[in-house]
Amino acid sequence: MKLFESKKKDTYTIIVGCGRLGANLANTISDEGENVLIMDENKYSFRRLSPNFGGLSIVGSGTDLDKLREAQIEKATAVIAVTNDDNANIMIAQIAREMFNVEHVIARLYDPECEIVYQELGINTICPAVLSAKEIDKLLAGFPAKEVLA
Amino acid sequence: MNGKKDQKILLIGGRSKAKAMALSLLEQGYQVITINKNYDDCLKLAEIKGLHVIHGDGTKPDSLEEAGAEDCDIAIALTSKDADNLVACQLCKKKYDIRKTVSLVGDPGKMEFFYHMGVDSVVCAVSAVTGIIQQQAFIDEMTSIIPVGKGLVQIIEVRIQEESPAAGKKLMEITLPKEGIVGCVLRGDSTLIPRGDTRILAGDTLVVITISGHELNIIQALTGR
Repeated sequence: MKLFESKKKDTYTIIVGCGRLGANLANTISDEGENVLIMDENKYSFRRLSPNFGGLSIVGSGTDLDKLREAQIEKATAVIAVTNDDNANIMIAQIAREMFNVEHVIARLYDPECEIVYQELGINTICPAVLSAKEIDKLLAGFPAKEVLA
Repeated sequence: MNGKKDQKILLIGGRSKAKAMALSLLEQGYQVITINKNYDDCLKLAEIKGLHVIHGDGTKPDSLEEAGAEDCDIAIALTSKDADNLVACQLCKKKYDIRKTVSLVGDPGKMEFFYHMGVDSVVCAVSAVTGIIQQQAFIDEMTSIIPVGKGLVQIIEVRIQEESPAAGKKLMEITLPKEGIVGCVLRGDSTLIPRGDTRILAGDTLVVITISGHELNIIQALTGR
């Protein structure tokens, strides 16, 4: 178990955007004992972090190269872009991938239509609407047909 | 002129910049289409005769399709957000095969990144404006500087005055830093390509090509300032 834990600590995750998703993720990663840094333009957003959050936080835009360097993005093993602006998330993901060669890059996109822009760059994307639709579909499939009709 | 009429230019975002650019492009005979997110800006733009105005988000495929992006030759992204400009240009390039994309960028540090991501031409208002202000502040107002080749090379216009050290000398007698060359002499209404024995006179305007960063040395060597 010890061995497993020490191995885990080699990861360094940068999360951009401290909204509900970003803060939740940061808390989870911090609880697991891994290195995590969270960025947000608004200092007030950090209220969402739990009191025992053990990671770092930086106030600043994730599209600002100087702030990303301050966050030591070149050492990051993963960058997760979860701001509320799709285009900013795409740009942050591209900067992380193309300029700093970050291994794992994930962007949350509300609208997956701009796929062509990032699909060939090896950027993973999460689309809440698509995920929810799938999940609802799965739930509906669980109902017996008669019950749905009734 | 006929060639120009077939060329379609797409302007994405931008308020006063889009207006000024649309007016100038229309006057030159291009077809111009603008996409703007802000409805009030759209109304302002719609006052321009002959301009197609689309109310929508230029970073979304549906708005770009409505604007007929696939038939456009040049796309120019003028929004105030770097991320929006980048995504708009990438969509235009990859999805609609637009031949040339031009983007405005706010952060000078991102210019190289934009080029790397496939934008054909990147213009940074901040560095352009600071460059002009510096030029105005430090150099005689008769000198103008044009950056070319992604700003690596500058073409400078230098006015030679009576008291300039270069006045009255042959070109080969003037010691110029090796980073520059005098490409052309404008004298009154005539233009001459100088040789080593061309004499520079007071009142001449020299067109000098230099590597960026050395322009001040060269101007100093020619004018003494």
